[in-house]
Amino acid sequence: MEFFLELLVNGLLVGMMYALVALSFVLIYKATSVINFAQGELVMFGGFIAAAMLTHYGLPLAIALPAALGLMISFGFTLERGMLRPLIGRPVIAIIMATVGLASILRGLAPMIWGAATKDVPLPLPVRPLVLFDLFISPLNLAAAAASLVFLAGFGYFFKKTRTGIAMRAVADDQQAAMSMGIKVGSIFALTWGIAGLVSAIGGVIWGNFLGVDTHLALVGLKVFPVVILGGLDSVLGAILGGLIVGAVENVSAGFIDPYVGGGTKDFIPYVLMIITLMIRPSGFFGREIIERV
Amino acid sequence: MIYRECGVFKTSYAADMALYRAPLAKFAVAAVAVFCAVIVPLGTNDHLLSLANLVGIAVVGAIGLNILTGFTGQISIGHGAFMAVGGYTAAILSARYGMPFWVGLIAGGALAAVVGAGFGMPSLRIKGLYLAIATLAAQFIIEWAINHITWISGGVQSTIYVPRPTLGGVPLNSELRKYYMILAVAAAGYVFAMNLVRSRVGRAFMAIRDRDVAAEIIGVNIFAYKLLAFAISSFYAGVAGALFTYYLEIANYEQFTITVSVQYLAMIIIGGLGSVLGSVFGAIFITLLPIVLRWVVEGIWGLFAPPTSAMLDVLANLRLIVFGGLVIFFLILEPDGLYRLWRHVKDYFRVWPFAY
Amino acid sequence: MNPRWCDVFRALTPLMAVGMTLATLAAAATKEPIVLGGECDRTGPTQLVGPNICHGVLDYINLVNKKGGVLGHPLKYLEIEHGYEVPRAVEAYETLKGQGAVAMLDYGTPIVYALTPRHMADKIPGITPGFGRADSADGKRFPYIFPLAASYWSQAAAALKFVLDEWQKTGKPPKDLKLAYIFYDNPAGREPLPTLERLAKLEGFQLRTFAVPPPGLEMSAAALDIARRYRADWVIAHLFGRSPSVSIKELNKVGYPLNRVISLVWGAAEVDIDAAGWDIAQGYLGMQFAGVGQDFPVIQEIIKMYQEEGQPPPEPLQKVSVYYNRGVFNAALMVEAVRLALEKFGQPITGEKVRQGFESIKDFTLGGLVPPMAVTEEDHEGGGWVRIYQVQDRKWVPATDWFTGYREVVWELVKEAAAKGE
Repeated sequence: MEFFLELLVNGLLVGMMYALVALSFVLIYKATSVINFAQGELVMFGGFIAAAMLTHYGLPLAIALPAALGLMISFGFTLERGMLRPLIGRPVIAIIMATVGLASILRGLAPMIWGAATKDVPLPLPVRPLVLFDLFISPLNLAAAAASLVFLAGFGYFFKKTRTGIAMRAVADDQQAAMSMGIKVGSIFALTWGIAGLVSAIGGVIWGNFLGVDTHLALVGLKVFPVVILGGLDSVLGAILGGLIVGAVENVSAGFIDPYVGGGTKDFIPYVLMIITLMIRPSGFFGREIIERV
Repeated sequence: MIYRECGVFKTSYAADMALYRAPLAKFAVAAVAVFCAVIVPLGTNDHLLSLANLVGIAVVGAIGLNILTGFTGQISIGHGAFMAVGGYTAAILSARYGMPFWVGLIAGGALAAVVGAGFGMPSLRIKGLYLAIATLAAQFIIEWAINHITWISGGVQSTIYVPRPTLGGVPLNSELRKYYMILAVAAAGYVFAMNLVRSRVGRAFMAIRDRDVAAEIIGVNIFAYKLLAFAISSFYAGVAGALFTYYLEIANYEQFTITVSVQYLAMIIIGGLGSVLGSVFGAIFITLLPIVLRWVVEGIWGLFAPPTSAMLDVLANLRLIVFGGLVIFFLILEPDGLYRLWRHVKDYFRVWPFAY
Repeated sequence: MNPRWCDVFRALTPLMAVGMTLATLAAAATKEPIVLGGECDRTGPTQLVGPNICHGVLDYINLVNKKGGVLGHPLKYLEIEHGYEVPRAVEAYETLKGQGAVAMLDYGTPIVYALTPRHMADKIPGITPGFGRADSADGKRFPYIFPLAASYWSQAAAALKFVLDEWQKTGKPPKDLKLAYIFYDNPAGREPLPTLERLAKLEGFQLRTFAVPPPGLEMSAAALDIARRYRADWVIAHLFGRSPSVSIKELNKVGYPLNRVISLVWGAAEVDIDAAGWDIAQGYLGMQFAGVGQDFPVIQEIIKMYQEEGQPPPEPLQKVSVYYNRGVFNAALMVEAVRLALEKFGQPITGEKVRQGFESIKDFTLGGLVPPMAVTEEDHEGGGWVRIYQVQDRKWVPATDWFTGYREVVWELVKEAAAKGE
C-alpha cells in the first residue's frame, strides 16, 4: 500500500512537471494555432543555456537564471519572426513539418555549441529525499511542482483577466475578427512565442536538474502529447489535470504492470490513454469542443 | 527534341489512357528505364549499388506515405511502425516457417495494411492534427509490442536473422541481384500509384483532402476511402519494410523508429505532396543527403588537415541541422517541393524554343 | 567550339599529366598505407560515449603514425558516423570496404548484428569490444567477429562473482541474496539475462529484473520498487547513454546505498558521475575492460605528442578517460593485429591475414591499460577480463585487480547458442 502511495505521489509531482511543459505547448496553440512539435527541443535548449551559464561560465544562480530566461524569450521572438511569420495561413501539415525541422536543427545545434556531454544544472536544493508520512519524496519534485503551480495559476489569471490575455484568446478564436477589432495579431504572436520561450526555459532548468541536460531531454516533448490531448489542446486547466493524470497513471501502472510485461509500460500507457481519449472525446476533457463549420 | 503535344493523335482507347502520351515523354521514360536497368548496374561498384538499394526502398515507402498524406490529406507519423510490421512479418515467415521471399513480401504488406487500417479507425472521429497524434501513438505502441512480445521479437535481442532470399532458385546474394529485385518492386509500386491517382479511387482521395464535407455530400464514403488510403499506404510501408529486412538480412526494430517516420515525412514534403514523381525525388534527396554532406565536408576539410574528432563531431551535428534547415527552407520557399521545380523545367521545355 | 576553351584545355593537359605522374611517384615512394575503418555514434543515443572513444582511436593512430607507422607502413584510419542507425551503418560499412579497410571497429550492438553476415562474407574482421554479440566469442562460428573484451555475458558473470564474493564476506548464504538487475530495455540491455538466470539457478540467489524503457530517463518506479518493495541487497545495473546518471540520482532519491550498486562497463564513466553529481555517487561501483586514468605509458606518450605540438591534451583524455582509454584500447588492438599479420605474412595485407593477426594476440598489456588477455582461434574474446572501480572522492579508484568470473558457464551459453544455430 505504501508502495502504491509513493508511486502515486511521485507520479503526481512528476505530472506537474509535465504540465509545465504542456503549458508552453498549450500557450502556443491557444494563441497561434500552431502545433509545436519542437516543444521538447525548446525545453532542451533552455536547459542547455541554463547549464552552460551555471557550470561553464560559473555564474551565480541569481544572474544565470534571469539571463537564461531572457535569452530564451528573445529566442522565442526570433523564432516567431523568422520561421513562423512566413508560414501563416499554410495548411497544418506545413506548420507541423516546420516545427519538426526546427526540432532537428535545435538537436544538432545545441551539442555543436556546447558539446554532447550531459551537463548538470545545479540548484540549491537538498539532495537526500524528504520523508513525509513515511513516504520518500524528492525535494526537486516538490520544488518543480510548486513552480509549475505558480506558473499555471499565473497564466490562468493572465488569460482570464488581463487585456493582453484576452487579446490572445481572441486571436486564437478568430484572427480576422481580432484584427478587425484592432488587435495587433503580429505582436500577439511574438508575445506568445516569447512567453513560450520563458516557460520552456523554466522547464529546461527543472527537467535539466531532474535528468541532466543533453539532447535526450528533448524526449520530454513527446510526453506532452498525451497530456494535451487528455486535457484539451487549448486549455490551461486541462494541461494541469492532464499532466497529473498522465503522471500518476504511468507511474502507478509502471510499478505494478512492469514485472509482468518485462518493462516499458511507462512508454505506451500514456499513448493508450491518448487513443481512448481521442475516440471518446477528441477535444480533450477540458478543451473546447471542435466545431466544424461548412 | 521538342515536347510536341500537337500532331499526336490517338487511335485506340488504350493509347489514350496511357500514362505517358507524348512521344518525348515515352522516350524519356524508356531512357530512364534503360538507365536504371542497364547502365547503373554496369557502371558502378558495390558501394553505389548499396546506395541505390537504400534509395529504392525509400522510394517505395515514400510513395506509400504520399498516397496517404499527399493525396488523402491524412497526416501520418507512424510510417516507421508500419514498415516494422511488414519487416517483422516477412522475417518471421521466412526465418521460422521457411516461406519464400515473395510470400514474405506480400504477407508483410498485407499485415501492415491490416494494422494500418486498424490504426486508421480513429479517422472516423478525428482529423488533421489529432489524427497525426494518433498515428504517433501507433508508432510507439507498435514499437513496444514488437519489442516486448517475445513471439514477435524472437527473443531477447528483438532481432531476427532472415535467410538469404531466393527468387526461383537463384539466391540474391549480391548487391546487383538485390538491386534488380528492389528496382522491380519500386517500378511496380510506382506504376500502380500513378494509375491509382488517376482512377476513381484516387479522385475520391483527393476529394477527401480538399473538402471532405463536400465529398461526403456528393456521396463519397469518406470513412471507407480513408481506411482504404491507410491500408494502401501501409501496404507500401509493409513492402518497404520487408524489402529492407531482406536487403539487410536482418529484422531489427531499431531500424523503424520515429526518426524514420519523420524522415519519410520530410521526403514527401521536400519531394512534393500529392505527386508520385515527387515522392521519388524526395526519397532520393533525403537518402543521399547525409552521404553527400559527408563527402562535401570531408572533402573540404581534407584539403587542410587530416580528420580530427572535432570535425567529425561537427559533421555529425551538421547533418541534423542541414536536414531541419532544408525542410524549413523548402516549406517557406518552395512548398510544392522538388516536383514543382521539376515542373518548371518541364514547362520551360514544353514551349521551347518559344518563350510562351 | 569556342577557340578560347580549346586553348585552355590544350594548355592544361600537359600540366595534368605532369601532376598525375608526380602524384603517382610520390605515392609509390612511401610505403603503402594500411587502411583501417571505424564507425562512431556522435549524434545518436550514445552521443555521450562515441566522441570520446573515437577521439582515443584517432589519437592512438596519430601516435603510431608519428612513430613511423606499423613496420614502416603509415596507417590511414577512416571514421564514418552512423548515429546508431542500422541503414547508415550498412552504408558506412560498404564505404569503408570500398576504401580497402582490412579491419573495422564496429559500434553499437544492433549494428554488429546487422553487419555480421557482411563481415563473414567479405572476410574483413570487425571488432566489438565491450558490446556486440556475446556468442561471437566463439571464434569457430564467427571467424571474422572479435569481441576482444568481456562480452555482456562475461561482464554479467564477473559482476555476479564480485557480488557473491562480497556477500560471502557477510557470512550469509547465497540463497538469501536478493539481486536486482536493472537494465536498458533494448537488445543490448537484455543480453545478460540468460547468464544471470543460469547463474541464479546455479548459485541459488533470488533475481528480479527491472527494465528501463528507452531512452532511459524514466526509472523512478523501478528505483522505488528496488529500494522499498523488493528491497534488493545488491543491484547490477546495465544502463548506458543517459541512464546511468539518472539511475544514480533516482536510487539516491529513494535512499538506496550506492555502494551496493555495480554497473557493467557502459555505465561507469566519469561523465555519468559528472551528470549525477560526485557527492551523491560516492561508493558507486563500475566495471571496466580497459584501464582508467592517465597513469599509463601510452597515455603519457599521447600527452607528450600533444605538448610537442604546443597543444594541451584533449578534454576526453583528461575528463573522460574511461571512454577515451577504451578508444585507445580498440585502436591498439587493431594495430597490434595488423603488426602481427605483417610480421607473419608481409605485404599485401588482407582481411584474412589480419584475422590471423588478431588470433595471435597475447601478452599485450600496454603497461596495464589492456588486461592480460590472449586471443585464440577458438576464443575471440580473449578471456573476458574485467576490473572493478569505485567512486571515491572525486574520481574512480580501482577496487579490484583484473579478474574473470564463471568462464565455464559463459562458454556453456556460447556453445548452446552455437548449437541453436541462430
